[in-house]
Amino acid sequence: MASLNILYVEDDPLAASAVQALVTQGGDHLAWVQSGRAGLQRAAADRFDVIILDRMLPDLDGLTIVSRLRAAGIETPVLMLSALGRSENRIEGLDAGVDDYLAKPYEPQELLARVKALHRRSSGKVHGAVIIYGALECHLKARTAFRAGRHIALSPREFELFRYFMENAGETVTREMLLRDVWNMSFDPQTNVVDVNIGRLRRKLEDGFTTPALETIWGAGYRLTACE
Amino acid sequence: MRPEAGARRRGSIVWRVAAASLLIAGLAVTLLFAASWSTLRRGTSEALAATVTTDIAGLIDIHASGGERELLRRVADRKDVVSLEGRRPHYLVARANGTPLAGDIRVWPPLSAALSEQGYVTLAGGTPVYARAAKLGPDLQLLVAREYAQDRETMRRLTHIFLAVGAAIVLGVGAVAMLTARGLARRIDHVNANLRAAAEGYPAALESPGTPRDEIDELALQGARLLARQARLVRVQKHVSDHVAHEIRTPLMHLDARLAAALQERSEPGGSGTLTRSRADIRTIVAMLDSLLDIASNEGRRGDLAGLSELDLSALLTDVAALYEGSVEEAGLALETAIEPGVTMLAERMQIVRLVSNLLDNAIKYVPAGGTVRLALTHGPRIIIADDGPGIPPEDRARIFERFARSAGQVSQPGHGLGLALARAIAQRHGLVLRLDETARGACFVAEPET
Repeated sequence: MASLNILYVEDDPLAASAVQALVTQGGDHLAWVQSGRAGLQRAAADRFDVIILDRMLPDLDGLTIVSRLRAAGIETPVLMLSALGRSENRIEGLDAGVDDYLAKPYEPQELLARVKALHRRSSGKVHGAVIIYGALECHLKARTAFRAGRHIALSPREFELFRYFMENAGETVTREMLLRDVWNMSFDPQTNVVDVNIGRLRRKLEDGFTTPALETIWGAGYRLTACE
Repeated sequence: MRPEAGARRRGSIVWRVAAASLLIAGLAVTLLFAASWSTLRRGTSEALAATVTTDIAGLIDIHASGGERELLRRVADRKDVVSLEGRRPHYLVARANGTPLAGDIRVWPPLSAALSEQGYVTLAGGTPVYARAAKLGPDLQLLVAREYAQDRETMRRLTHIFLAVGAAIVLGVGAVAMLTARGLARRIDHVNANLRAAAEGYPAALESPGTPRDEIDELALQGARLLARQARLVRVQKHVSDHVAHEIRTPLMHLDARLAAALQERSEPGGSGTLTRSRADIRTIVAMLDSLLDIASNEGRRGDLAGLSELDLSALLTDVAALYEGSVEEAGLALETAIEPGVTMLAERMQIVRLVSNLLDNAIKYVPAGGTVRLALTHGPRIIIADDGPGIPPEDRARIFERFARSAGQVSQPGHGLGLALARAIAQRHGLVLRLDETARGACFVAEPET
């Protein structure tokens, strides 16, 4: 994937430098502005792939910035990064027009995964009859899964999970993405309920094989590997 | 959707005020008519009595001075005279047995001459008159009468005038009362709509009249003050909550970032070292802070309809059940679902998921392998999460929904005792009651509308 051009609006220099280091390490470009008004101006003036937006800014509230961006017809995906992480705060953010909401403190890998996922979602997905990734095959019409030519028996929900991983093959998939896109849930119950489902899929994908098919990215989510 | 003004009212002040005004106006016109009619009738009777009495007194004098012949002659002369008031006179001079001697009346009416009786009678020809009788001698009696058709016409006209004017007055009063009451009702409705909207959590601003003109202005003024105060308190509460969260989370985030950096330099195999545990503790503190703020927020927004929308509860609980299937199976339990289709309610999707997932998590945590967890939904809506596990000890049942309440059996399990308090606060915010139902075995939580 080509490197991303990201706009980051954050008034806390410490938090900003951490994100700056994280993003540039991955080869992406980050433009950092310290105030809401400057953020609005940059978002309108330049083209960005993703905007990371702090919520509590000294001049303009993050929610107001998103509303103004959307009102101005700027549809760049926005990830709100906020110290306000209650469900009520998340609802306010999503209602205002943000595409994803991540509460501080967060895992750096999860932030990266979410930024990339946001970009993928806004770019659109490729749909075909069969998705092949390494030794894994997902037959969409027949709703069947294979590894190295061997059929993997999956329940309907496990197939949906597998299909989602295949559609995002090689990318980190967060728990919230799985809840939203596989189980139609807009909320993480904060239990191990997703991990249990992943564990069951992983056992089926890895049963009889020596190499792992699903990798856990600590604090961020999971990634399908191009297994043999 | 914001409720319509007056949508929940059964009656209106408009009709009550209009009906009361109509009744009072009708009663007043009727009483006035009765008094006028009675006064006029009494005046007419007195005038007739005076005329008849004067006439008969004159004739008695004539009889006394001129004798019977003179009387008969005078009566004959008078019968064609019509008084200025238009009351035609009638006379009868007769013997004691009623034999007429003079006058135009042929038959003696039922009035006693001996008693000098007077009153309204009808003559033999059918003419209604006011008459008075007098005894002039042992075998002579006199009757003087006056017609009162003109007086009756006056009474009839008075009645018609009262009917027409009275009806106009009653209708006029009714119309004015209705217009006035409508004006009042409109103003009261405006105040009510704003107060109701504010009570249900919608943004409401009541205009505050500078100088109150009347009681409704005073009501609007007090309402505006109350709404402004309420809005200020909500703002302050939200401001404090947000800032508490922000000011606690920010240093924790920096601490977490430093721990993460240290962890990168000195990896801890197995993820169980001091740094990893410290990071886990930070997340626990943040989660606990969020839960406490969420409980307070949900309790504060009890009955607040703002932010709620029509939710397909059946579809949502089916999704939740699908999400939990794996966890239930992993725990060696069976999940039974009985979800009625088409159950909807005004709700916030994310919060209902929290409510149900908190209860399901509890069941999975405490029910030993081999047990069953049941998730049911019926119209009402009524959500039931039941299990056949060890249940809640009777001594703990009264306080399980309190913050940080944990029973003896729960102490060994992870958690802070905030899950049920949060679940109940979410239920309350949605107009539901979350209670622990009596059951023979295990625990049975029921969320249903408040009664």
